[in-house]
Amino acid sequence: MTLNLCRNLKFKLDMQFIFERWARAHSRKEVSLSKLRKSVIGLAMVVGACATSMVMAEPITLVDQGGRTVTLQKPANRIASIPIPMASTIIAIDGSTSKLVGMNPTAKSAIVEGVLGTIFPEAKDIPSDITAPNFIPNIEELAATNPDLVIQWADYGSDLVDPITNAGLNVALISYGTEEKTRYYHEMVGKALGKPERVVEINGWRDAVAKEISEKAKAVPAEKRLNVLYLGRALTSLSASGNTGNYNAWQIELVGGINASDDVEGNGTTISPEQVAAWDPDVILLNSFEAELGVNRVYEDPILSLTKAAQNKKVYKMPLGGYRWDPPSQESPLSWMWLANLLHPDVFQYDLRAEMKRAFKSLYGYDLSDSEIDGILWMDMQGDATNYAQFKAK
Amino acid sequence: MSALAARSARSWPGVLRLGVFGILVFALLASMLFAIGAGRFSVSAPRIVEILLTWLQNPGYAPEQMDERVVLLVRMPRVLLAALSGAALAVGGAALQGVFRNPLVSPQVLGISQGAAFGGALAILVGYSGVVLLGMAFFFGLAALVLVGALARIDGRTEVITVILSGMVIGALFAALVSIVQFVADPNTSLPAIVYWLMGSYSTATWARLGLAVPGLVLGLVMVFLFRYRLNLLALEETEARSLGVNPDRERWYVFIAISMMTGTSVAVAGIVGWIGLVVPHAARILVGEDHRALIPASALIGAAYLTFVDTLARTLTAAEIPLGVLTALIGAPVFGVLLRRHFKEANRA
Repeated sequence: MTLNLCRNLKFKLDMQFIFERWARAHSRKEVSLSKLRKSVIGLAMVVGACATSMVMAEPITLVDQGGRTVTLQKPANRIASIPIPMASTIIAIDGSTSKLVGMNPTAKSAIVEGVLGTIFPEAKDIPSDITAPNFIPNIEELAATNPDLVIQWADYGSDLVDPITNAGLNVALISYGTEEKTRYYHEMVGKALGKPERVVEINGWRDAVAKEISEKAKAVPAEKRLNVLYLGRALTSLSASGNTGNYNAWQIELVGGINASDDVEGNGTTISPEQVAAWDPDVILLNSFEAELGVNRVYEDPILSLTKAAQNKKVYKMPLGGYRWDPPSQESPLSWMWLANLLHPDVFQYDLRAEMKRAFKSLYGYDLSDSEIDGILWMDMQGDATNYAQFKAK
Repeated sequence: MSALAARSARSWPGVLRLGVFGILVFALLASMLFAIGAGRFSVSAPRIVEILLTWLQNPGYAPEQMDERVVLLVRMPRVLLAALSGAALAVGGAALQGVFRNPLVSPQVLGISQGAAFGGALAILVGYSGVVLLGMAFFFGLAALVLVGALARIDGRTEVITVILSGMVIGALFAALVSIVQFVADPNTSLPAIVYWLMGSYSTATWARLGLAVPGLVLGLVMVFLFRYRLNLLALEETEARSLGVNPDRERWYVFIAISMMTGTSVAVAGIVGWIGLVVPHAARILVGEDHRALIPASALIGAAYLTFVDTLARTLTAAEIPLGVLTALIGAPVFGVLLRRHFKEANRA
């Protein structure tokens, strides 16, 4: 009897999910026969899966990015996140802060001080003493939050993981750096939260925007591809990254640019100003991590101010939205549009402000105001930069 | 006849020593010229000479072209800062080894480097750079020294061994404080900055920063240079020095203050660059002997040439800056190992 009810309920949810997908596809006015067929096959598969999973009392199984298998008896209601960007991702996937029971102090300060703090004022009460900023967990504080699932980094060795499993807590590991990894951990967390449909939506958006941009970027001839230098640190010493496993390099190449620092080995490596002079980039992107870093750092520097980027006023600080736009996050497609419009205004004409409003509504259920958009895009500081007028409020 | 022979025997080493110093000065100049000529941004040799001549003829010259700015605003201050720091670190090591009559001590031993490192890391943590960072590095370097002094002074007297042990204690304390700063630092922003700064680099050298560093480095160098004869006396046994009318306690502290000034300043501008104070004085001792009157200037010249050269490697080998501290340790540790073996072999033979 209960099994039946459950099956019915699940079936109804799945139906609704497929219907939504169908409706979305329909609204794009490009429903092809193959899509219809896919939906039907999907429906059949879901019905089958539902029948079998019901018998197993449907535990959720995830393969995390450390290659471990994680099993949850039911969708996680309480997730603690030790990696920094994950906290805002969980908020976006769930659409609320209610499932996030613990986070990194650095993530918390970023949320509370940023626009997410306005959207979710209750975030300031979520515990952040579950971990030190350097990701070493405080097991007792962590256990005190009574999490169904703890998210931890896969890449920093077992010393950061074993103490958590040792305490009998369920851990899923994530890894960082590429677009594929980002989409994978989005799916993982969506599954854990019992909200895979949200991730279909979020990742679907990523996929659609990325495809559209890379398609158009292909048409950009080699001589119009600009050398773009992303400075991961610039306040005192300068740092840049090579191409391997670097998200900023990927982002730059996606929109039809060239990573100026592609001959650097590794990520976030210190470089001399002289090296910047040798590269002579067409565009300089400043990180959004260093709060005091502004475009004048470049314009007032005797060397950097002579680069083509500075001479042509193409120095931009990466925006800081619900999360920073330089590393991968749920807002990444906005970051690609921003950069695409800046590098090739003749090829890309995204209405960034409208896209931002739409994205914030769908990610956080929030209506961004014009002044908030100005703040995220640093209009006061770089509104006069080349190609930046397109982002002004109309 | 015998008097003449004696005089010539005495003057031969003098001539030799003059020759050695000539070679060292030449090596320093060559190293600096090489450093100004080498870099990731390519500037041709004749163009460099042209730029240098223009600059030397009108000192107030404001460079406009990129190649001029690279040579005059990036390489020049960096080369001068590296040379000056190299001299200071080497002289600090030589002086310290004299005072402790132990060729294996270095500024790290007194906890000065760790104190300065803590001051600088703290400055970065709270978001300061430049003058504040320098001031805090110097202040905490000096604070470490004062703490060592207070800890080591027992019944109004300070023994060498208590100073070394107190230095280890204070050094460990400040090393722990540096770890705490790293522990609480934001891994997105201040932590990488602290880590790279601690690894040591002259990549942020500017004329302004050179200006900040010059007083501490030059004052320390001059103090030790003026003290070079006294260092010979301090290197004697404690009782022997006292019998020659030297107050070893007080004079030692003059040297310590000079050393902490040089170490604190050099840590502030480039993080901890290790091994210079250990390797260079040994090389100098091989060339000119134990007499501090020759050893101090020789150490200064070799240290300046050596650090300038290593820093040039650090910034030119790859597009990325190789951390200077890593290079000096990679070169310094094996060289030091060889010197150490030779030292003990000779000691055994004697």
